[in-house]
Amino acid sequence: MPVEAAEVTVRPLADVDIEAITRIDEKVTGTYRPDFWEDRVAYYLRRDPEASRVAELDGRVVGFMLADVRGGEFGLEETSGWIERFGVDPAIRGKGIGRKMFDALVTHFKGVGAHRVRTFVDTRQTETATFLKAVGFGPSALTALEISLDR
Amino acid sequence: MNVDTTHIPKKYEDAIAHWVKHNFQDLPILDKYWDKYFPTDDAFCLCAKMDLSTSKTIEVGDKKGQAKAEDPSELTEEAAKHLLAIIRAQASTEFGSIQQHQVTLERSPSDQDKFWVLRVMAEELRHGYQMFHMLTSRNWEKLAGVKTEDMVEDVLAMETGSHVLEAFNLPYDSFVDNVVFSGIIDRVGKYQLTMQKVCAYRPFAQSMPPMLREEAFHLAAGVVPMRRWLEAAAQGDAFITPLQIQKSLNKWIPRGLEMFGDERGGDTNVHLGFKDMKNAEAQSRYYAEVTKLLRDLNLRFLRARYPSKSPEDTERMLDAIVRERSAIDGTTYDDILKMPHRTFFRRRGEPAFLMVSVEGDPIKDVEEYIRHLAQVLPSAYLASRDMSQYRDLIRRVAAGEVTPEQAAKKSPVMKRKAESVCPCSKGVRWVDTDGAAEKLPQVATNETPPGGATFHAP
Repeated sequence: MPVEAAEVTVRPLADVDIEAITRIDEKVTGTYRPDFWEDRVAYYLRRDPEASRVAELDGRVVGFMLADVRGGEFGLEETSGWIERFGVDPAIRGKGIGRKMFDALVTHFKGVGAHRVRTFVDTRQTETATFLKAVGFGPSALTALEISLDR
Repeated sequence: MNVDTTHIPKKYEDAIAHWVKHNFQDLPILDKYWDKYFPTDDAFCLCAKMDLSTSKTIEVGDKKGQAKAEDPSELTEEAAKHLLAIIRAQASTEFGSIQQHQVTLERSPSDQDKFWVLRVMAEELRHGYQMFHMLTSRNWEKLAGVKTEDMVEDVLAMETGSHVLEAFNLPYDSFVDNVVFSGIIDRVGKYQLTMQKVCAYRPFAQSMPPMLREEAFHLAAGVVPMRRWLEAAAQGDAFITPLQIQKSLNKWIPRGLEMFGDERGGDTNVHLGFKDMKNAEAQSRYYAEVTKLLRDLNLRFLRARYPSKSPEDTERMLDAIVRERSAIDGTTYDDILKMPHRTFFRRRGEPAFLMVSVEGDPIKDVEEYIRHLAQVLPSAYLASRDMSQYRDLIRRVAAGEVTPEQAAKKSPVMKRKAESVCPCSKGVRWVDTDGAAEKLPQVATNETPPGGATFHAP
């Protein structure tokens, strides 16, 4: 049965979301990483639970977007909203769930005085890059650089 | 959230500093190692935080749509006294939990667990400070019939055994209690704070969002260690077992359910616009949330024990063990965490002093009931004064000497509050009206922690 985005509710992250987030990540990546997600959820909860969101459908967590508001990194003094990780249950993608979580975060970021939202994306992950472009992300003057230490 | 920070008058800060010296000796350690355990987080601030974006209009109750009160004098006498009781109870829980955590903090099996709980304690201190801001920033004296100093004194004088709510009168038996308490009892705090966000007294409503923000981590400080302990237990670690965690859950969940108040009550809070849910509704939601939490913990345990099973097979296995109460692939029903029945081991509310098993089955014989408690509660707790008094009371209820209602009023048998509670010889009161200053410990500056040092209990 088609799922309308209107049935989806978005709320701040909570400790009881750890298992569901771990499961969504497992569906997406094929890897079970409970320790990793316990650490990440605890990190974002102690930073600001309002700055990370989960999406629920019929009381079941079907998506997450982990973010926080910070400044002073990479020479950027201004306070920005940073989106680190997000995911939607592959079985119900394409229903606007990611967009709903993103919109809720933008509202929160504006409310706490941020003027910009930032993230990094691996352009090889085309689905992720497409989603970020669709919600309005564009190229930044800040470019991620790296150097391999294995040479 | 548009948050403003403020401070309470110096004599009350001094009183808290003096209280910290006697009840929260490890606070300075948090300052020293903050950057090691919380490297990117803002420094801890012992201050009152007010969310200025809170609604100015009453959101629920008889006066819905009218302007919220900004001062106690704008409340009716009945409402002001009711709210004052809520503030007193809230303050009691904040200071009370620190007293409980401090006793077993040093027994933490890992430094991370210890510093997470230490941060929880510091933030509870801030919440207590916040409640003192409620008491000291406005004049409640006419309504309360006592001086502001005496209201603060009353809270600081409370000890484990003389707090307002029973959950804060039970000593911890081990560090398992520090963790289970954070995951179970702090969760009730989340519900209370959430309900109070609508409060018709605006300064109280403004206090809730910053407290809630901090409370979210407190729950994680309980849930994450439980998940890790269950993973270790699944892989053969015999030190902290599901049975130990279950017994601690059996100890705390009944007290958590009672913190919502009598199942038949809560109307006054809603009518007065102080909360947006009645007791039974809030308690039911809490019960459902903890039930889900235990299911997630069980899945964590089973997936660690059977890494080759798919998530779907693991869920089916869990359902079968619970449904059939039988062993599957070496995992027994006793290895699985289970929610105690809502009526189990209750002393307040609708099911107070009913004799039912942890699974909700009635037990007719009081001695059989006592033996059942001995099987399902932590052994160290059984040897406590609290349990001794409970056993005496339940026997008297079973013998028809007292009614459950009478027993509820007698439980717990509170410590007699001494006139002078401060253990040091400097004074008889926490609030020193003569102005002898006690310097408030500085908490969590951004000092660099000792580089590369492995921290062990100092």
